[in-house]
Amino acid sequence: MSDAISVARGRWRAFVAWYAWALSWLLVVSVAILIIPVSLQIFSRYTELIPSYIWTEEMARFLFIWMIMIGAMVGVREGTHFEVDVWPRLGERGGAALRIVSGVAILVLALVFVWYGIEFTRFAWNRISELAELPLWLIHIAWPLTGATWLVFQGERMRDDFGVLASGQPT
Amino acid sequence: MGTAAFSAGAASLILFGVFFGLLALRVPVAFALGLACLPMLIVEEHLSPMTLVQETFNAYNSFILLAVPFFLLTANLMNVGGITDRLVRLSRAMVGHFPGSLAQMNVLLSIFFAGISGSSTADAASQGKIFIEAQIKEGYDRSFSIAITAVSAVLAVIIPPSILMIVWGGVLTVSIGALFLAGVIPGLLLGVVQMATVHVYAKLRNYPTYPRSNLREFLLAAAVSVPALMTPFIIIGGKIFGWFTATESACIAVLYAGVLSLFVYREMNLKGLHQALVETGKFAGIALFCVGTASAFGWMLAYYQIPKVLLDGVQGWGMGIVATGFFIAFAFLVVGCFLDAIPAIIIVGTILEPLAKAVHMDPVHFAMIGIVSLAFGLVTPPYGLCLMISCAIGRLRMVDVLKDVTLMLIPMFGVLALIIMWPDVVLWLPRQISPEFLK
Repeated sequence: MSDAISVARGRWRAFVAWYAWALSWLLVVSVAILIIPVSLQIFSRYTELIPSYIWTEEMARFLFIWMIMIGAMVGVREGTHFEVDVWPRLGERGGAALRIVSGVAILVLALVFVWYGIEFTRFAWNRISELAELPLWLIHIAWPLTGATWLVFQGERMRDDFGVLASGQPT
Repeated sequence: MGTAAFSAGAASLILFGVFFGLLALRVPVAFALGLACLPMLIVEEHLSPMTLVQETFNAYNSFILLAVPFFLLTANLMNVGGITDRLVRLSRAMVGHFPGSLAQMNVLLSIFFAGISGSSTADAASQGKIFIEAQIKEGYDRSFSIAITAVSAVLAVIIPPSILMIVWGGVLTVSIGALFLAGVIPGLLLGVVQMATVHVYAKLRNYPTYPRSNLREFLLAAAVSVPALMTPFIIIGGKIFGWFTATESACIAVLYAGVLSLFVYREMNLKGLHQALVETGKFAGIALFCVGTASAFGWMLAYYQIPKVLLDGVQGWGMGIVATGFFIAFAFLVVGCFLDAIPAIIIVGTILEPLAKAVHMDPVHFAMIGIVSLAFGLVTPPYGLCLMISCAIGRLRMVDVLKDVTLMLIPMFGVLALIIMWPDVVLWLPRQISPEFLK
């Protein structure tokens, strides 16, 4: 029984690690692709090589939104969102306890993003963007996905912190 | 909006109380800003947490902010592509013979870097790796080495191009071209003041001095650096002459840095490119996510008309333009200790704007007071990103570096005071080159 649980846990961890790896690649791609519509916009204005597309600006903005949201997801996994540190040096246990408290706050915002993000996506279900005529839910769905991803990543971090809190040893 | 259930005072107490409470519990700033909006969004009859989602969406759906990842990418490409190394060589040839050579080069490289990149954190990260250990090896004190790296990095957001100027121009509708020009003289003044500080340190502590480079070395170093040093002229020129928008000029900077790294200096490989892209995405994601929640927080302040109440209160003091300037600088300096510069512009910039207008302060002058003050906030604890990065690289705690940072900041405050009392320091250059940008 406990074997089955630890196997399942190992698989889950492997999945989360794979998901984080995939996200960091998506992030690389989204930054690289961002350059294309903006360059097109400049070159179409000053050269005759390509027609001036009307959708470049909108396309760039939508990619940009995804880049921010994926970056914010990865930031939770790596614990790199900026924080203000006014505490003296805490021990292993103290640090873990404080991380659990602040982790709860992250989970709360994650739940808000999931819950209201779903409504936000449903609201955009039948709408298309003004210029590129993309379905808007493709952009709005970034909010519930970000919330869900935070729950996964932060959940795993907090599991580790509970381990530290129980044992007093760093993982 | 007379239907709000809370008065401005009660609402601001809850908003700021929750925000600072969460900060103290080490909740990340971006999350604390979003969560601070929640109680009012839930309690208030006409609002719902949907506002939080909608306001973050509106904040990110901005073509201007897109310049932020581009400027970060430019800086990262410079580092992996060998551009920075060439500029180090040029700095050596120019100021290597001054007392405290390596530290002087540290400041001068920051000035060059500032003209190409718009990000102080990228500057602190790359120069921390180049200079901190090297300086310690040559006998400089560790805390001095960390402090001068952090303090010189702030020039990157004052000398154009600058991420902060783009955000300021976008949020408060000021001409970004005028802001770019306005930053040149204050930025160079701060650089000179920092080099003077290094000089005094070097004399007092006998820091090492390199032999003078001969003219041939200087010309060689200058020649290989010329393509890199063209970048600021392309970016700023393109913006001022109206060839490109701010975002487009940032994109041009990326393409130019990429071409230099790949074809001219030929030092970038695929691994380096991947590293530059991933670092850009991670940092831009974190920094800009905060813009969304800060905008939501700012929206809440506006909903309760808190800026107006503050303005009415402050106007009662009857301050003139200079006193108002000092007040604005003080507010940004205090806020800069606790908040990143971008959310600070969104929240505090919009609060103080009517105050600046009331005393007929030029919007560009107001912007530069704010940006320079917020740039100083990058090295003031507890939340000073550049200082945090330099301390992490130099492996010291922020408290141990505080004394040197303070000593270096004192003459820089002099420059800030000069900017406040003598608006021409910032307004002269834009007035010469493009008066149409100034209203």
